[in-house]
Amino acid sequence: MAPDRPPLPPAPDVTTHLVGFAGFLREHGLKIGPAEQVAMTEAALILGNNLDPSLARNAAHLSAKYSAAWRAIACHSPREWRQWPDVFNRYWLPHKTRGSVRVSGQTRPARSLPDVVADLHKNLAETAHHPQPPARSQPHIGTALDAAPGHDQTDPGDESGRPRHQGGASRGEASTDALHDRELSQWSPEDLQHLTRLADQIAARLRRHVLRRWHPQPQGSILDLRHTLRASIATGGVPVIPHWRKRRRDLPRLFILVDVSRSMENYAQLFLRIARAFVQALPARVFVFHTRLTEITPLLQRDSASVQEKINAVTAGFGGGTRIASSVDDFARLARPQLNRSSQIWIFSDGFDADAPENLSLSLAGLKHRGGRVTWFHPTVGVPQSDAITQANCAQKIDRFIRLATLKDLTQAAKLLD
Amino acid sequence: MGDAASLRQALHRALYVTEEGLATVLWLAQNLHRPLLVEGDAGVGKTALATALAEATHSPLIRLQCFEGLDLAQAAYEWNYSRQILAIRRAETSNASNAANTTNAAASMADADLFSPEYLLARPLLRALQSDRPAVLLIDEIDRADEAFEAYLLEILADYQMTVPELGTITARHPPQVILTSNGTRELSDALRRRCLYHYLDYPDLGREIAIIKTRLPDAATQLVEQAVQFVQRLRREDLDKTPGIAETLDWIRALHNLGHRHFPDDVAKITDTLCCLLKTREDFFQLSTERLQHLAEGRKTVGVAEKHGT
Repeated sequence: MAPDRPPLPPAPDVTTHLVGFAGFLREHGLKIGPAEQVAMTEAALILGNNLDPSLARNAAHLSAKYSAAWRAIACHSPREWRQWPDVFNRYWLPHKTRGSVRVSGQTRPARSLPDVVADLHKNLAETAHHPQPPARSQPHIGTALDAAPGHDQTDPGDESGRPRHQGGASRGEASTDALHDRELSQWSPEDLQHLTRLADQIAARLRRHVLRRWHPQPQGSILDLRHTLRASIATGGVPVIPHWRKRRRDLPRLFILVDVSRSMENYAQLFLRIARAFVQALPARVFVFHTRLTEITPLLQRDSASVQEKINAVTAGFGGGTRIASSVDDFARLARPQLNRSSQIWIFSDGFDADAPENLSLSLAGLKHRGGRVTWFHPTVGVPQSDAITQANCAQKIDRFIRLATLKDLTQAAKLLD
Repeated sequence: MGDAASLRQALHRALYVTEEGLATVLWLAQNLHRPLLVEGDAGVGKTALATALAEATHSPLIRLQCFEGLDLAQAAYEWNYSRQILAIRRAETSNASNAANTTNAAASMADADLFSPEYLLARPLLRALQSDRPAVLLIDEIDRADEAFEAYLLEILADYQMTVPELGTITARHPPQVILTSNGTRELSDALRRRCLYHYLDYPDLGREIAIIKTRLPDAATQLVEQAVQFVQRLRREDLDKTPGIAETLDWIRALHNLGHRHFPDDVAKITDTLCCLLKTREDFFQLSTERLQHLAEGRKTVGVAEKHGT
């Protein structure tokens, strides 16, 4: 709520209110340091001295002038640019700001009666210390909170053990951990920004592959004799400017296969968001599969609501079974020209396969034969224990398994990926 | 320039129709001697802003087009090696007759003359600092340059000076008005952003776009301009790969005008023939079927049962 102040003070008095306004901007996430504060004061003075006296008391005129000038100083990104009018009006023109309720953060999805009953049964079973063992071929799907280090039974959440509603005007450092452990359904735009940054970091790590068996030379760079001699023509044959060889860097060929079958219903959206972040950071290709395989890379390259609808339409195979081996075969056929030893194949799946268990090993062998490196991201707490995965793992067709159910898992995975 | 309003009028005379906020920011950038970073989609008029500003303020425009791999030799300065070698050879030849003094002459040549401003090739950044009158320096598409170059710019943007190791620090005689543009293809550093004033240039609203087109194409029929701009505004709400900018609108209406249209063509086929001015990818052409174009031309938003035909 804005403190009491004149609606918009006349020009000379504006500067006296700037300290409070700068603090207000900082509270709303804008980066206002001393330099910005000084610049805003200077701008106010310059504008005040150049105001038409007949307009000096016109609040609307003053508001437009100061708002435009301070916006240019205080905003540093499109997001802040869009945020500005609201923040400015809240502080300087509170009488114009209509009362509104804004929910920052996400409310928990409403639960239906069957869900409540199911939870009740689950709680009763846990109380009685009789947890039901998971089926052999169907792995236990842990929730995002299962692996959260600070999350235990004493968590001050509600009776179901979930944290309470996240949100508020500003989140401090103390809430960061909880934020990272949050499930996809509770993600805020800030989480998505963090995901994008994380994808960029991982992409930067992946770019470190140097071609032609070059290794860093502690002594210095290598002279490019041919280029130096060619450049010496401009200086009469005297090699004045040495040219150094630059290491060629090759982008890894990243292929992401996302399982969108019913068993992955809770995680497919998370994986698709992660895939989208990587498509925008790297030249990656993304495929979704359930009983058949479809490429969705062009849809992920753009970010808009209608594209999201198209992706949802493409991934509308929820409800069918999963044929991982057949889908991997289809993928190998589609991507064969691009598969080589620099290829990274990331499969996002819980490993529950309706194909014959031995087929997955054979399908993955085809990828390995081409030199691809297979990483299996699973949302489950442990490595999936389905027959197909167990056989493929025994045959060493999967290079590594990485758990991925929350942003925090992706942060930890960043250290493992290279 | 006296105040923001007179700068706005001057920009209008230079055929750049701007809103009051942007004119205030430009005027403020001049008064505070701060660079202005303009971000926005391609085709919204970022580069044209710098060109118009130069014309409005009667200043020379110095343009630096950024690209990946841009280095100091292309952006700031370079020593004229050919001339330096020629000077050495000339000194050697002239001293050949006086063999006794060759060593001393060559040494004095190297020390005193070779790294003087005479042998310095000024590139856009240095030219802007050395300009006899305040120039407009356009650093176009800074997001395409490497991060190292962005860091190099900090000294110039903060203090309007450049350090040449062999000569020392060169300070601007008249601080140039620096306009940096970015399409947002790469995130710029906080250091650069905080040294600049910032403006996000969005697609213009209907009224301003009509005013822009009328300014640029005074001969085009008003009815044609208004209807075509309305069509483009509706088209921008479609999910396109490349949203058409003002430049595309201008091209398209110019094409329609040159084809002799006095009003917006009723026949969709005629629109389709000229759509190459607006749409730049195959996917966008594929997406905009004849039926969809018809809906856009008629101003209908939705297709299906929700659509009411005069009921």
